[in-house]
This record gives sequence, C-alpha cells and structure tokens, in this order.
Amino acid sequence: MSGFSGCPGSRMLEFQKEDTPEGAAEVRIASQLRQWPIQLHLVSPAAPYFQGADVLLAADCAAFAMGNFHNEHLKGKGLAIACPKLDEGQEAYVAKIRALFEEARINTLTVLIMQVPCCQGLVALATEALRGSSRKVPVRYVVASLQGEVLQEDWL
Amino acid sequence: MEQFLQSPIKELIGRFPALGTILEDYAIGCVPCSVGTCLLRDIVEIHNLSPGDEEELMGRIAAVVAPGQAVAVPRSGRDRAAGPGKVSYSPPMKMLVEEHRRILRFVALIPALTAGLDVESAEGRGRILDAVDFIRSYADRFHHAKEEDLLFACFDEGLEILKAMHEDHRRGRACVQGVLDALARRDAGGVARNLAEYGEILTEHIRKEDEILYPWMDRNLTTRQVGELYARFREVDETFLEAGERYEAFVRSLEGQYLDAVAEVGR
Ligand SMILES: [Fe+2]
Ligand SMILES: [Fe+2]
Repeated sequence: MSGFSGCPGSRMLEFQKEDTPEGAAEVRIASQLRQWPIQLHLVSPAAPYFQGADVLLAADCAAFAMGNFHNEHLKGKGLAIACPKLDEGQEAYVAKIRALFEEARINTLTVLIMQVPCCQGLVALATEALRGSSRKVPVRYVVASLQGEVLQEDWL
Repeated sequence: MEQFLQSPIKELIGRFPALGTILEDYAIGCVPCSVGTCLLRDIVEIHNLSPGDEEELMGRIAAVVAPGQAVAVPRSGRDRAAGPGKVSYSPPMKMLVEEHRRILRFVALIPALTAGLDVESAEGRGRILDAVDFIRSYADRFHHAKEEDLLFACFDEGLEILKAMHEDHRRGRACVQGVLDALARRDAGGVARNLAEYGEILTEHIRKEDEILYPWMDRNLTTRQVGELYARFREVDETFLEAGERYEAFVRSLEGQYLDAVAEVGR
C-alpha cells in the first residue's frame, strides 16, 4: 500500500517494459485516422465524415495508452478527442455531441476512456447529450487500463 | 469427437442420456427444448462459459461420448464477450427484451382468460378473437417480424439455432390457427388447449432468446450493425406507434380484469 492519497488521475506510476530487441523487425502500423481536425472543440458536426458514421469519442490519453488504438478502436470510425478533466468550455461539448446525434445523425457513439475516475466525466457528457437529444443513438463505453488493456465495455 | 461436436444435441442426448444432466449442471437447458437441432459445438460456443468451466464441461462430455479422447472447442473470435454470467443487452436487443416482457404479461393471463370460457356467446368469442389479434399483430407481425426480417438477417440463415427459433415461431402460429379452428367448431376445450400450448412455446422460446440467443448475437454483431438495427427497429416502432399503445392498453385492461383470478389460480 503506497501512502499516495491524491487524485488517482495524476498519480505517478512507471511501467517496466522491455525495449524492442535491436534488429527485430519493426512493423509499420498504418494510421486509421481519416479526418482533421479531431479535437472536440474544433470538429464540426456538419463534416461529411460524421454523417451516419460510427463515431469514437476518445479521452486524450487513450491513444497513447493503447498499443493497438488504430486497428482496434479507430478503424472505420469518425473521431473526436477531449479531456473531461482539463478542457475548458465543456457545456459546448454537450451541445456538440448532441449535434452529432441530431444533425450528423451518427449511427453509434463509442466513448473510450481511461480507468482513472475523472475520465468518467466524458461518459457523463455523452449521457447528458443523449438525454437531451431528440434522436436516440446506441452509445457504448470502453474503459482502458493505464497499460492499455480493455477493462470493461458496455452499452449505456 | 469432432463428429459429436457436429451432431444435433437432441440426437446426442437420445444416444447418451447422461449428457442432458451434464449440460444442466452448466445451466444449459437443452433437455426441455422442443427443437433440439442445435449442434453441440454451437451450443458450447453460444453459452459462453468461462474457459475453466468450458474445459471441465468438454472433459465430462468426452468421458461419456468418446472415452479417452481430449476435446476442446476453440475460443478464438469470442473475446468480445462482456464476460460469462453477466447479461447486458445492446440498445436494439433491449427493445426486443422489453417486447418479450409485454408478451409474457399476456401469456400469464391465458389460464384466467380461458377458465370457464363460453364460446357460445359472441362476448366470449370476442374475448378470444382479441387475444388472437394481440398474438398475431403484436407478438407475431410486430415482434417476430423484427426478429426474422431484421435481426436474424444479420446472421447466416443456415445456423441451426436460427432454424430452431424459426421453428418455434412457426409452431406458435400453428397454435393460433388451432385456436381459430377450435373457435369455429365452438370447442372451448380446443381453444384453451391451443392457447395453453402457445403460452408454453412462447415462454420457453423467450427464455432461450433472452438468456442465450440475444447475448450470443450481441457478442457477434459489429458496432455498425448494432447502430443500424437500432435505427431500423425505431422505424418499425414509429409505424406501429398507435398500435403499440393500443396493445399495451389491451394487456393492461386484461390484467385489470384477470390479475385477481391469476393470483387465485396460483394460490
Ligand atoms: Fe423469437
Ligand atoms: Fe422474441
């Protein structure tokens, strides 16, 4: 038991990893990103790549934690990223997610968050947007561990 | 052993009755199933046991059907599971499960509905015709059509489990025809028998869908398919909106009339 009693989202941890051995084949993984911009404040629900799409709303940290983020989570989806802990103007986030439901008429929304408690805020934003939306859409959430494993996934 | 994995379960249980008891230990209720054409391989996969339980189950089955041979059903491609034991439905599946609740509320009223039934009076016959209308319009045209036309269409129609589900729907329809035929003959016993059989088929059928089929489908549908199914189901709901309210009112009024009687029968 460590004596740490602060925010688990800011708690310092180090993961021991083996470096890839010298000379081992480095596999080039193609990016699955098919749009720009990606930050939730910057994206427009009117963008063609959101219309009728399956959309991934990912916490900023998720792509760094998950080794196979592109192939397992981003592939085939439109993307928006946000941090529910540090970003300003989160009322605008609720309105924008709602516009994805109502105007872009997206097919599904997947909210990908980290296991730290503050990250639940992103699911809360999506839940609030769905509640206020005149058009209902299946919303799924996926919780990733700090080492990028999927800990939990379910539909709202 | 491979040949046993590819065999219909009813046939296997017929040859090796001990299998039925073994499956029941893992809450796999194939013995009472009226169809039983599902393959052993699919049954093991569809029930999504934990790896430990699955290994133990396969070991026990092998000891009965093929002593001395080790067997396993590959678990690959089944890793999207929410985890064994926990049932959590996607939004389109939730819609179907809620429809099941309404159908089961109706089924629970069948004994009271047919107790002391008077088929000679227009009033008594009307009561049965209303029930038939609920079954045909709500349970069949609305709910079963969603399943057959939209949900099952996402899967390979040659799957034995889907054939078994279609067969249940068909048997339900045959019972309803039986009710109408008996009514035309003014045969109150025949009406009651056919409705009771309908209730039994649907109760078992809904249990299979809620506990086995839908969770398995949810594990195999892509996110894209879940979204599309949800949108299509909502379109169906839109066109059925007024009728949906009418059938809810119908079940509620039957409950108002008969719930005391149902409690009486249960006592
Ligand atoms: Fe069904
Ligand atoms: Fe059903």
